[in-house]
Parts: sequence; structure tokens; C-alpha cells
Amino acid sequence: MTSDTNNAENFKDLAESYFRGRIDRRRFFELAGALGFSATILGKLVRPARAADSDLLPSDPISPYEAPITKQRVAWLKTKPYKGTTINVMAVKATVGDCIKYHAPHWEEITGGHVNVAEVPIETLHTQIFADLASGLGRYDAYQTGCWFYGDFFVPKDPYIVPLAPYLADAKYSYWNPDDWLEPMRKLYSWEGKVYGSLFDGDAQCLYYRRDVFTNGDNQQKFKQKYGYDLPAPPTTTQQMHDLADFFTGWDWNGDGSKDWGMALHAKVNEQGFFHFLTLAAPYVVSPENKYFYFHPDTMKPLINSEGHLRALEDYVKFLANGPREEIAWTLGQGWNLFLEGHCAMEPTWGDLPTLAQDPKSSKVQGKMGGGPIPGTTEAFNPITGSWKKYDLNQVGNVNGGTWHPVLSRLSKHKEATYDFMAFMANRKNAFFNCTHGWTGVQPGMKWEYLPPAGTSTIAEWQAQGWNASDCAQYLGAYYANLTLPLQEEYLRIPGAAEYWHELDLNISAVLAGQMKPKDALDRTASSWESVTERYGRSRQQTLYKASFS
Amino acid sequence: MARRRRRGDEGSWFKWAMLLPAVIWVIAFTFFPLISVIHFSFANYVLGQGITGYVGWQNYINVLESADFWHSIAITAIYVAVAVPTEVALGFLLAWLVSLGAAGSKVFRGILAAPLFTMGVAIGYLGVTLYTDQGGPITLVLGLIGIHIPWFSTGWGGLLGAIILDVWRWTPFVFLIALAAIGAIPTTIYEAALLDTRSHWQIMWRLALPLCWPVMTVAILLRLIEALKVFGLPFALTSGGPGTSTQLFSIADYLTTIQFFDFGKGSAMGIVFLILVSVIITFFFRQMRRNIE
Repeated sequence: MTSDTNNAENFKDLAESYFRGRIDRRRFFELAGALGFSATILGKLVRPARAADSDLLPSDPISPYEAPITKQRVAWLKTKPYKGTTINVMAVKATVGDCIKYHAPHWEEITGGHVNVAEVPIETLHTQIFADLASGLGRYDAYQTGCWFYGDFFVPKDPYIVPLAPYLADAKYSYWNPDDWLEPMRKLYSWEGKVYGSLFDGDAQCLYYRRDVFTNGDNQQKFKQKYGYDLPAPPTTTQQMHDLADFFTGWDWNGDGSKDWGMALHAKVNEQGFFHFLTLAAPYVVSPENKYFYFHPDTMKPLINSEGHLRALEDYVKFLANGPREEIAWTLGQGWNLFLEGHCAMEPTWGDLPTLAQDPKSSKVQGKMGGGPIPGTTEAFNPITGSWKKYDLNQVGNVNGGTWHPVLSRLSKHKEATYDFMAFMANRKNAFFNCTHGWTGVQPGMKWEYLPPAGTSTIAEWQAQGWNASDCAQYLGAYYANLTLPLQEEYLRIPGAAEYWHELDLNISAVLAGQMKPKDALDRTASSWESVTERYGRSRQQTLYKASFS
Repeated sequence: MARRRRRGDEGSWFKWAMLLPAVIWVIAFTFFPLISVIHFSFANYVLGQGITGYVGWQNYINVLESADFWHSIAITAIYVAVAVPTEVALGFLLAWLVSLGAAGSKVFRGILAAPLFTMGVAIGYLGVTLYTDQGGPITLVLGLIGIHIPWFSTGWGGLLGAIILDVWRWTPFVFLIALAAIGAIPTTIYEAALLDTRSHWQIMWRLALPLCWPVMTVAILLRLIEALKVFGLPFALTSGGPGTSTQLFSIADYLTTIQFFDFGKGSAMGIVFLILVSVIITFFFRQMRRNIE
């Protein structure tokens, strides 16, 4: 009895490790087998991601762009299977879209197919995708989507996009394995447990800082004199982050003759600036006692105007004093440039920043990067119970951002060829290329992209792609630490998510511009969210909200 | 008699055949979309589900109670009220100067017309690089004389930036029309006026402008209609921000209808705006006609 109970407990831990991405499928089977669980039962519990893992070859001359590759794929490519087939892909007009364009000719070369990539600006991408789908035109076979569009794909009875399981099970397609995803990333590519997106991007926001400036003896001494504690590198609380931002603002700490800044943000309305607020606000609301950030799960009433959100917004506005005033109208690139040109000490942003820092043509900060998860708070508000609670440190991980990736349209007339192209870009060789090159805008989401013990890649592999060893270790360390924090901020993926976020974006922007008070802005956001919820149907939204957590 | 009737029938058939393309055009591109917009304005539309029900006047009530809607109307009114008169005044003045044969006027005429052929979106994006605090040439030049305009960090700065670009783009349109109108005034009238005064300012103000006014009315009307619909330039420049401070009606309606597929509210916004604009244009027309008479 005791032995059975222990086995059950051990299996529970083991299963948790597997589903959280800490061990791979093969290791899970080995260890579960040792506990006496049969492979047949396990096989039913954990469906294989691929049909023929055992048929993998390290590479094959027939496709110099893929590694590893299955034997079935090698045979398939010999037939030039998509000769005469043209597929149309809608991509974001940004680095991630350029990345799709980069791979298209390689895929065309090995398959005989042809890819048209239409690049659409981010501000109209949602419109373009859903205009194509809702009108029934189906001019595109695949769309490069942001994860917050997911809910909209599942509004019709027949979702607009198709699950990838049948294709994943067929070894003739390019090899990639969804079991390799870190769990928070896998969730973003899935809906109700089924994978709909093929590996591409893996967005999350971390805090990047100038390690050389933070570890400078003079700076450390001055900081301690002013604030009474050692300069923290990286900061772990928002208070420390504020102190650092204030400390590095308004004087020439890089010695170039001009005043420098403590913190860079990009907050242009209708862009992606609102993600800053979402990221920095998380530890004010999400805590061990509460995982809900957006809506009350029982009523679908907005939580966005809670006391926690309000304090977060008031706190966020203070950072404006630590960067150029114009940053409230900056796009992403403008925010990054301030840091890359060496004029800024910190920036909470995506992994593009350390990746772009590796290009000496556009960066003065290669080899000077530091990184860490977004700092936490020592107090959080539970909007469900309406009470504040103190913590030693309440730090929350996030997957905020687009995590841009292709999804396969239900209306596509060339699903096989389209999936083939999607899988081709998800193949390890191409995916690793993507996440190690700044111009692709792609960040790591797979275990094998990280350094041991978390993953299996090596510093040498990253150095071979032009990375500074220290920057690489800082970047991957920060990213992995963020994605594996026990507390993770939820990601809004219900229908209308783009609209909910847009309303928040508008009102935050109005606060930054001094047009509105934080409380009024959040109350207006809550009121707008109620209208959106009513329009989509409250009970349906509630059901999908719950489903979006799976 | 019978023969005459047949000829009349044939004439009638021909008349209708000639009218048919215009009728089809109006039905397809004016009547049908208008009916469709009215239909949507009473509906609740959800992306992926289509019309989920009819809500009576609720969309209109929501629009009329929406502070954002009235804010966008106010921003549009400011934009039009500043941009259009400036363009008309500048365009006419430049046309007058060119018609006087100022030095280099032929070259100037070509250069001045160039922005007219540029897309609004392109001009908007150009504005981003011209105004930016991070080395934008306009900001640099103004900085040399001690002027700093927060183009992108304040609502008024963004709106001013958009209006300046609009004036730069559309003044040539008024200029070309005014130039043609001034050129059409018989030279004998000028010669007669020159006997009374040597002041070109007096001649422009008391002679050329009244004589050109019927033509200028058309230019003003066209500019008014275009300015009320302006979208690409301000959207590319500020995206309506910061906040909603430069959100013109066209941007607000675009975001509601096209970006978030709220066809119900977006259509109601369109109808309310159409009514407001129709009232303004009708009033404007009457005033102009009275002035001409």
C-alpha cells in the first residue's frame, strides 16, 4: 500500500516535471517505466508528437537547410513534392516577417513550391487576417499571428485555423518536436491542449541593463552613498529599479559629453507599448493567492481598475522621467536604439535587445549586457478578495509579446504544402538560426535553445553565430529564469483580446501624455471592456477565458 | 401617328439606356453601401459570427453618449478649421505672386506641386523623421533659434505637426486652381485697376479675390470634404496618439469598424458623422451661394 502510494506520488511529480518541460518525453517514459507504469498506458497518456523519432538522420544533402531530418522526408523531397504549387503567407511587416521571407527561397529550392509572402504592418495585421477569414476569401494559406489573436480564431463553430497534430504525426514533413517547448511557450501555441502553431518566436519581457555600468566601482560607490544600499545588478524589486533609473538619469555616465538616461520605454499608441505596463504591473496583482489579471473568472467583470492595477500604473508613469519625453510616441526600434547607442542604463523589453546588441554595426553595447527577470514587488493586491498582502518578494514571469508564429488557415487549398513550409522553419537548424540572429526578431522557446542544465545548446554554438559569451549567458539565463518562475502572468487570448488591449493602450497612452488621471484611465478601460464583453456575449467569453488557460 | 409614337418609344429607350450605367453606379456604390451601413448600425456584429442580433437605437445611443466620439469630432473640427483656411489663403497668395511674374516662378510652380502627388501615408511617415527629437531636421533647425516643440509627446504638438504637413501637401492644390482662376481674369480689368491704384495688395484683395471667388468656392468645398475624411497622414504620423489626442473621426471610426470589427457601432458613428457633415456642407453651400449672388 505504502509502496503504491509512493509510486503514485512519484509518478505525479514525474508527470508534473514532464508537463512543465523539465524532462523530455523519452526520459519520462524511462522513469515512469521504472515505477512500473506500462508503456501502453503511458503512450495513451502522452501522445507522441511525431510518428518516427527513431528515423532521424543528423542531416542529408538533399536538404542542406534541415537538421535533423527523417528518412521519410528525404524520400519525399526527392519527388519535389510541391512543384507548381504556390502558397500565400501573410506576415508582419517587421523583423519576424523578414525572417519568413529569408527562409522561403530555401524551402522553394528543396520542394519545388513557391511562397508569396505579403507583409502587413502590425497596426493593420489583425484587420487583414480576419477580413480575409471572415469574408471567406481565404487568399492566404497561413498567417503569422500574434498570440493575442488566438481567441478570435475560435469564435466560429469551425475554427478559422486547423490543429497540427495530423501533420506532426507524418514523418514526411520537416522534423520539429512540440515536446521540446518550455511549457509557457507551448501553451501560447495551443488551444485547449491542441497545438495550432508551428515553432517560430518565443516572446517574453525581461529587464536588460548595462552590466559594465552597473559593476563600475565609482557608480557603485555613488549609488550606495545616495541610496544606502549596494547597487543591485540586476534589481530584484521595483523600488530598486526606480532607484537605479533615477540614479542613472540626467548625467553623463558613459563619458560621451551628453546626458544619459536611466530607463528606455517605447509607448506609441497602437503599437506594442502597452506590454510594458502589463509586464511591470503583473507583480502588483498576480501572487501566490491570485492568478487572474484581467477578468474575474466567475463574472467576467474586468479587474483592470483594481487597486493593484492602479498602483502599478502610477508606478509606471514615474519611469517617464527617466527617459526622453518623446518616448511616449516611440516605436519599438526607437526605444531599443537609445540603449544600443549606449545612452541608457536599463530597458524592460523583449530578447531582441540583447540579440541586436550583438551586431557591432548598430550596437555599442556588445559584451556589456546584463539581464534578469522583471523585478517583483513586496506587496500585491488580490482583486478577487480585494485585499493587499505583503511578501518578501513577489516576482512574476511573463510571456508578454506577440510570440509571432504561423498558423494554418482552414480555408487553405494547399494545407500540406503550407504546413511543410511552416515545419521547415520550425526545424531545429532553422529555428536555432532564427533565435541567434537579431534581425530575425525571434526569441528562444525550445529547451534545446538554452544552455545546460536547462537546455542542450552550448555557448560555442551561440558564439559561432556572432554572440559574445557573457551576453549569451546573461540573456539565456534571464529568459529561462523568467519562463520558469513559479508565478506566471496570464496571457489574454479570448476573442476581442486585441480590442481589450487596444482600449487599455489608448488610456495608458492618455495617462502618459497627461491627458487623463490613472484612476480615470483604468475606470474607462474597465467600462470599455464591459462593452466589448457584452458585444461578444458574456457567458461565451467566460467559457473561452477559462479555455484560454489550458 | 403610330410611326411617331414608335420613334418616341425608341427615344425613350435610348434615354434610359444612356442613364443605366449611371443608375447602376449610384445603386452599387452609393445606395447599396448606404443601406448596408444603416442596416449594420442597428445590429450587434461579432467577428466570426456575423450579426448576432438587432439592438434598435442602442448603437446610436452609445455613439452619442461616447466622450471619445465627441472628442474625435472636436479634433476633426480643429484640424479642418485650421488646415483648410490656411491652405486656401496660402494657395491663393502664392498663385497671386506667381501670376505677378515673380523671379523663378516657373521653377517654383513645379516644385510647389510636388507634394500633391505624394501619398498621405508617405508624408506621415516622413513627418516622423522630420519632427523626431532624435535628430529630426525640423526639430534641429527650430532648436537653433531656441524653439522646442514637443511634436510627439503632446496632443497639440502632434496635431500641429499633422496640420503643417497637410498644409504643405494641399496648398498646391488650391494654388493650381487659384492660378487658373487668376489667369482667366481679362488683362484689361487689371489695366483699368492699375490706373486707380499701384498697390498690388489692393488689386488682389478688391479685384482678383472677388472675381475668383466662385472658383475658389469649389476649391474650398473640395478641401473641406477631403479634410473631413483625412486619414493616412495623421494615422501614419501619430496613430491618433498620444492617447486619443490626435484621434480624428476617420481614425476613431477605422479602429472601431475595421480594426475591431464592431460594424454596429462603427456604422452608427458613420451615419451620425454623415448627418453632421451634411448639415455643415449645406450651410456652407448656402452661404457661398449668397456671397456669389
